[in-house]
Amino acid sequence: MRQPRLRAVTRRLGTGLVVLWAATSAAYLALLAAPGDTVDAIVGDGADTPQIRAEIITEWALDRPAAVQYLDYLRRLAEGDLGRSYLLQRPVAEVIGEQLTATLTLAVTAAGLGVLLAIALATATAGHRRPWLRRASSGLELVLVSTPTFLIGIVLLTVFSFRLGLFPVAGDQGVAALVLPAVTLALPIAGLLAQILRDALDRALDEPFVLTARSRGTRESAVLLRHALRHALLPTITLAGWLFGTLLGGAVIVEQVFGRPGLGQVTLAAVTGKDMPVVLAVVTLSAAVYVVVNTAADLAYLLVDPRLRRS
Amino acid sequence: MPAPHLRTLTAVALVALLAGVTGCSTDAAPASDAASQPRSGGTLTWAIETEPITLNPHLYAQAKARLLVWNTFESLLSYDQQGKLVPWLATGWQTTPDGRSYTVTLRDKVTFSDGTPFDATAVKANIDKLREPGYAPAVAAVQLRNLDTVEVVDARTVRLTLTNPDVLILDFLASPQGAQVSPKSLREAKNLKAGGVDLAGTGPFVLDRYVPGQELHYKRNPGYDWAPPSATHTGPAYLDGITYRFLKESAVRIGALTSGQVQLIEGVPATDQQLITANPRLRLIRQLNSGSAYSYYFNTSRTPFDDLRVRRAFREAVDVDTVLKAVYRDTAVRAWSVISPSSPLYDKRLDGSYGGNATTANALLDQAGWTRRDADGYRVKDGRRLTVRLVQAAPFVRDRRDVLAQAIQAAVKQSAGIDLKISLVDQGTAQEAFDTNQYEVFDNSRADTDAGAALNLLLHSQGGINRTRVNDPRIDQLLDTGQATADPAGRASIYADLQQRVVVDQALLLPLYAPADQIAASTTVGGVRFEPTAGVPASAYDLWIGN
Repeated sequence: MRQPRLRAVTRRLGTGLVVLWAATSAAYLALLAAPGDTVDAIVGDGADTPQIRAEIITEWALDRPAAVQYLDYLRRLAEGDLGRSYLLQRPVAEVIGEQLTATLTLAVTAAGLGVLLAIALATATAGHRRPWLRRASSGLELVLVSTPTFLIGIVLLTVFSFRLGLFPVAGDQGVAALVLPAVTLALPIAGLLAQILRDALDRALDEPFVLTARSRGTRESAVLLRHALRHALLPTITLAGWLFGTLLGGAVIVEQVFGRPGLGQVTLAAVTGKDMPVVLAVVTLSAAVYVVVNTAADLAYLLVDPRLRRS
Repeated sequence: MPAPHLRTLTAVALVALLAGVTGCSTDAAPASDAASQPRSGGTLTWAIETEPITLNPHLYAQAKARLLVWNTFESLLSYDQQGKLVPWLATGWQTTPDGRSYTVTLRDKVTFSDGTPFDATAVKANIDKLREPGYAPAVAAVQLRNLDTVEVVDARTVRLTLTNPDVLILDFLASPQGAQVSPKSLREAKNLKAGGVDLAGTGPFVLDRYVPGQELHYKRNPGYDWAPPSATHTGPAYLDGITYRFLKESAVRIGALTSGQVQLIEGVPATDQQLITANPRLRLIRQLNSGSAYSYYFNTSRTPFDDLRVRRAFREAVDVDTVLKAVYRDTAVRAWSVISPSSPLYDKRLDGSYGGNATTANALLDQAGWTRRDADGYRVKDGRRLTVRLVQAAPFVRDRRDVLAQAIQAAVKQSAGIDLKISLVDQGTAQEAFDTNQYEVFDNSRADTDAGAALNLLLHSQGGINRTRVNDPRIDQLLDTGQATADPAGRASIYADLQQRVVVDQALLLPLYAPADQIAASTTVGGVRFEPTAGVPASAYDLWIGN
């Protein structure tokens, strides 16, 4: 009993490490293959002389073969050293560390809000009870999913901040400043999740166990929330990885529009400036979170579906 | 590159929305001029476009960060409104007749905000640090390339000895890179090259909070008493403190200002200036930057621009006034020379001396042998189309220069059959095109306070960004003499000759417009001004809040 579980855990960890290594290496290769070298990126649009170039090469030890630099990077990464940012001249761990909380707060709030909204929309409109509401909700969801995030952000800002003055425009200034960015990020998520969730609820409501529950005299709301919803959550959980990707991508834009600190802005600046150590760290970190999120999703299946626990 | 795209779309989305907002926001306080009497106290929030890459003045490289540098740090010299050098942390300077030795006397009773006294040893420590390998390569290789030794004569005097006469050393002493950082910070700061709260300077404010991605906060330095003569008051700053918030989207900056969440913004695009000027509680001020004008430089090492007639023809093919009006409405100031019209070195004779004549353009191209036309209407010679490539690095595109390029593209096609190919690429790709000589047009403007510094980089055969690839002994000689001549009148005449040579005789470039900065502010804020000569927003020293 114990041996197989240990093996499963080891396999899981091993896979995770391989994913990490593959993500980091792919990013490393992509950056290496991109036109222009690191020296160009550091020189920027400023003065450019052989003397300046030579100093930059010495400072960052860029004269070593690419393979050596890559292996050295992996070794330092294994030791937990993310290196120093070419452009910001500070340790990468510090650059990312100080931005992590802001992005995490935003992402978690937005994810929670998005999921709650989706559940509310889907449970209110599943089945064949209120066809007009269902149509309205479905239309709204479609609009939310297809509207670019920045446009949602600008509209919310214009109405609730510039015009009504309910929320501050920018910055990480407590709960009030979190509302608009989180809503901006949550709305497209809610739109898509609600569609999927309603679909799954519809299917669950047609299942025999629903008929059984109803025949026992269970109230319709209880049927929906206790039985059908639980069933319908499974496909939604599968989307956790997608959700994470959307949050990270959306954070880039939301942080830019709202002038909020966070990883999104750091990533955008690092990619445009070809700041290799920062880009690599963000990729590695994202891959790590992705692995964790997917593992958590697998565990969540067990919680939601008792049938999986038995096998 | 999502950013430029995002910006354009945002602007479109905003036009309708903001119009409604400003229309509804006339309820509060009536229009009042900035209450006339400066007074102390209060705090302001200023939304700025650019978060600085570094807060260490020695590594300064963004003109947009200049207003922040002077809050905390100061240089030995400064410029006045006429572009003349004036003492700041120095009390004066003397040059030997051979121009190889500068003796600078320093102000007394100045202290860094960490308590370290400012003296000749501190100045030497700063310059020594700048020349340390791996610290500030661009400064060491360009601004300090003629510097030989720095000696401390006494506590109030330093002497700089040069290998060659170089008046630009004075421009260095007035530049952010020459700003004085406490020697204690230079030794002990945790991330010296990134700068931050642990770097002490002598300025009127002290940086006490930096939230990356969000804001910078400065508090007043109460002991400050050494303002430069170009400031409008003396003693400590009026404000208790000031917050600079980074808002990268111009639409968001303007919304934050119109809704009163910030009191000042900088960077107001031409398309949005109407929103400010139409609002009685706000005002807009603009100023031309110093340095070189935004220009298209022609690569003379390749066909077709190795032919002077083709360079002339390109210039005649563009009606710059019409193009600028189309892209920037009436907000852009046309440039006629490589030097910005705001510089004391600008040669006014160039005004209106060329350009915009399609007939001349076509005649010149005919003479140069580009006589036939292909099916698309472009000129052809020996089976080759008259194609010239402009490579723009997206991260450095500002002021809608990508849109301007499209307008010029249409103009040269229509009036002379020239095929201008524009590629908007990442920086690496652009750099590769320059390194492998795969371009015909290079666009650039530089914000140096002394235009001579910009020209050395752009036009000298050994210049760091000599993208015309010109190698003209006469130009080199004029640049070298200009750099070695201290007398202002003599210097101006040398640079006038240079501009004649470069713009008129050689037609190395097409000057387009003089880059400018804009500040929009609430009318309750007084002392809003630009830094003399540099033409960028000034520090917060003279700002005050009216009633």
